[in-house]
Amino acid sequence: MEVKEIISSGILELYATGLASSEEAAQVLQWTSQYPEVAEELAQIETGLAIYVNTHSIQPSPSVKDKVFARINDVEAETAKVVPFKNSKSDGVAKVVSIFSLWKRIAVAAVVLLLGSAALNILLYNKNNKISSALQQSQQLVSSLEDKSQSMESDLQVVQSKYSMPVSLSGLEAAPDAAAKVFWMKNTGDVYVDPSSLPSAPKGKQYELWAIVDGQPVNAGIIITTKKGDRYSIQKMKTFGKVDAFAISMEPENPTPATKPTTVVVMGKM
Amino acid sequence: MQLLQHKDQQAFSYLYDNYAPALNAVIYRMVEDQTLSEDILQEAFVKIWNNFNSYDKLKGRLFTWMVNLTRNLTIDTMRSKSYKKQTKISGDENSVNNLQDKNFGIDKFDSMGVVKQLGNLKSDQRQIIDLAYFKGYTQDEISKELDIPLGTVKTKMRTAILELRKNLQYS
Repeated sequence: MEVKEIISSGILELYATGLASSEEAAQVLQWTSQYPEVAEELAQIETGLAIYVNTHSIQPSPSVKDKVFARINDVEAETAKVVPFKNSKSDGVAKVVSIFSLWKRIAVAAVVLLLGSAALNILLYNKNNKISSALQQSQQLVSSLEDKSQSMESDLQVVQSKYSMPVSLSGLEAAPDAAAKVFWMKNTGDVYVDPSSLPSAPKGKQYELWAIVDGQPVNAGIIITTKKGDRYSIQKMKTFGKVDAFAISMEPENPTPATKPTTVVVMGKM
Repeated sequence: MQLLQHKDQQAFSYLYDNYAPALNAVIYRMVEDQTLSEDILQEAFVKIWNNFNSYDKLKGRLFTWMVNLTRNLTIDTMRSKSYKKQTKISGDENSVNNLQDKNFGIDKFDSMGVVKQLGNLKSDQRQIIDLAYFKGYTQDEISKELDIPLGTVKTKMRTAILELRKNLQYS
């Protein structure tokens, strides 16, 4: 729109008399900043209207001015008075804040406690696990020691018994270095063998004890050389009332004892 | 700070002395009750004082801003229930044509001359200015009141103000 058109449109007059819509007012303000002529025209219109209004002037009562100034000063006094009120108001706010912050603190404390407790739980759980595994280990150790001590005790009983008759079996040609001991109980006829000096049986082979009764070998049972990885010591075999000699032979691995000895490793007479 | 406040009050006192009669006129034309008019005037100046920092020089003259503020305040008051009740009792004679006879408070030293000059202004030209300025009518209301198309309110207003300015220039 050209300046002339703007001026002649009457929109400036609408603006000056307060009739313009907010869009029109914005438009007018844009034009007045853009075109000095438009701004000048608007100023002229406003001046005209101001003078026109002034011709209608009605002097108000002097009391109105007094009231206005009383109120302005009152408001200021009130604003001044309001300060403590505002303070008390802000006190209220502060209280609210403090309540909030109390809850916040409680919440934070609760979270911290929860985390702490969780951490402690994990710690204790781990510790507990360690302890229980340690306990298990010690229990295993104890039970293995118990086993050991029991077997040692029983071994000792066999050896120390006054009825015990030891028989030394010495190595034959097949295994010159091999040796074993047999304990025969005179009173009961129980037979115990101590294979601790026997070499470990090769894979697929096992040792078997033979009692020579009336010149004939009688199988006295399979000798267990290892138990739980440890060399097994004195063990009870079959019972014999009368034995001439004892022999240990090497036989192929078989759960059922052999009927005749294959390779006699050690032998000892009563 | 207090000095500044004091100075502000001095300036405001000057502002009041210069504009209160004109603004009072604007209000009086609308409410046609001297007591109510002065109550609103009081309210208007308190509002002007409180909202002075919202006045924008770029948006026009201070006077225009003050007139608009006062007019809006008056319209709000007139729309309020208490005012409606009052007008029902007192009866409303808002004839625009009476405006001329009611300007009893002319006090500007040059006003008399201006009023004489305004004699040349046609009554329908005065009317459209008065409806907008003194009655707070909208464009729509003016078009209905004067029975003219909405689109011509603008041009009629321009013609009226142009005539007004022409008359003022001769004085």
